[in-house]
Amino acid sequence: MPQGDKHFEHLKLPVNWGVMALVAAVCIFGALSFLGDRREEVSGRSYGNRSGFDAAAGPASNVLATPAHVVGDGANWIDDYFFAVRENRILKKRVQDLSLYRDMYFQQKDISERYEKLLNLRTEPPVEMVTARSVSVSRGPFNNNRLIDAGSNAKIRFGNPVITDQGLVGRVVGVSPKVSRVLMITDVVSRTPIMIARSDARAVMSGDGGEFPRLDFVRGKDAVKKGDQILTSGDGGIFPRGLPVGEAVQGVDKVWRVKLYANRAPIDFVKILLYEDFSQFPEADQVLMTPQITELLPQPAIPQPVTAGATASSAGVASTPAAGAATSSAVAPASGASATSAVARPAAPRPAQPRPTAARTTPPAAHPAQAQSQTQSAAATASTEVPF
Amino acid sequence: MKTPFIKTPLKVTLDRGVRKGMAQRMIGPLDWIGWPALGVLAVTIVLATPMKVFGLYLPEPVLPLALAFAWPLIRPSYVAPLVLALMGAFLDYFWGAPLGFWTLSLMIVYGVIFLLRGYMVGQDMMVIAGLYGVAVISFFILTTILATIDSGMVPRLISVFEQALATYAAVFLVLWLLESYVHADVRFQ
Repeated sequence: MPQGDKHFEHLKLPVNWGVMALVAAVCIFGALSFLGDRREEVSGRSYGNRSGFDAAAGPASNVLATPAHVVGDGANWIDDYFFAVRENRILKKRVQDLSLYRDMYFQQKDISERYEKLLNLRTEPPVEMVTARSVSVSRGPFNNNRLIDAGSNAKIRFGNPVITDQGLVGRVVGVSPKVSRVLMITDVVSRTPIMIARSDARAVMSGDGGEFPRLDFVRGKDAVKKGDQILTSGDGGIFPRGLPVGEAVQGVDKVWRVKLYANRAPIDFVKILLYEDFSQFPEADQVLMTPQITELLPQPAIPQPVTAGATASSAGVASTPAAGAATSSAVAPASGASATSAVARPAAPRPAQPRPTAARTTPPAAHPAQAQSQTQSAAATASTEVPF
Repeated sequence: MKTPFIKTPLKVTLDRGVRKGMAQRMIGPLDWIGWPALGVLAVTIVLATPMKVFGLYLPEPVLPLALAFAWPLIRPSYVAPLVLALMGAFLDYFWGAPLGFWTLSLMIVYGVIFLLRGYMVGQDMMVIAGLYGVAVISFFILTTILATIDSGMVPRLISVFEQALATYAAVFLVLWLLESYVHADVRFQ
């Protein structure tokens, strides 16, 4: 055997064994990294320190995706050109339907505001929003993430909910100065507390990498029906209550799933709610406190003859200055918003049942807001014209 | 004057008709590892564009799997598994997967193909295409199991099938790599 072949043999074996050893070492490293993953935890550290990569990947995606955007815009132009007539018909019908809903919305909003004032409900404050553009997406079955071109410079923080004009998209799980990573609600580690609007039943929406996340822990008979609207429940404090999510559908496997509103249109521009949790409320301790029923209901009034015309007046008649202030504060938004038929509807006089303890003793207020609510409650009690 | 070139054992390798010209090329790691890896990464980023074309989202194939299948068949190399590990780490970061998820999956495929390369090199291209299909199926079974272990939720199998189908479409990349670089350099033998 030539001398060269001998050397070749001695060289070949170490290469094979060396490559195998290298592959085994990388596998061990990958396995340890995988086992140490805490992606499912609701913590800013769950994604590790990936902000540097995201900060670089965002602009790179923008540059490399330019050809794809050109092709996509061209395809959309062709699509719009050929389907403009059909789309116009659909939009006309939708405008007609939505006009009806708009009128109903204003009426219900008016009534809702009146009730909130009367019951002294502590409603959630308006949440500031930031608009951003989605620059990259992973939509596979194992990972559903998005990169958006806004970060901590725009006050975005871990956990902020992300929505579109259609519905809920996900929440922020990674933040760098100019780029953020959004975990979509369809990701396999995503769990979203939701409620069914019709039955007020609670459930947990679990993503499975598909377009229709499943509903888990649904309790009660007929808690869910096909077409029920799904909203965020606000439980846990990650998402605010009432964000539209989708509609309930049942799969062939009889499992309830959610047809997401966000999938109605391509997710291009998104809004990030600068919402953290209950702690951002100005009166967090008051929000979590269940008010006594005596704080919500007005004091029973002594039955008096009430004229229909006086009852129909939404402004009411204030017999005392305190009562006048309370009544005006209670109905000012309603009367200022619009004089709709729902508001001006004359209510039938309902004589209040007299109670043995007519004089209620109010406990000392521990909080300025509570003191204000007690003042309003007392003022409403003094008034004989309760706009119910 | 005798030509030593004819007498060397390399004559058998060089005398391959149409491949004769190819055998004189010098193939470096940049040719069969570097440029394909960069190309795959660029295509992965482009396909991650959030847009719909004619109402359909862009596909999301796991293109590095084609490299994990083709590279061990081309030749043993220290560089290839390292680059593949880097590509797996890139996917972990870019797609937001748990660290090690794609790295581990790709390296297992590379290791298995490397062990079996003696049985696979030299097969007909149709057989190679079939073996690549088997590799894709095995790869996605593995990733499904890993994702289930990690999240406690079985990924939607229809979506897994769709991604596997998109990944199998990269069989043309596998066949092109093998056609271009297997036996392309005598030093590979």
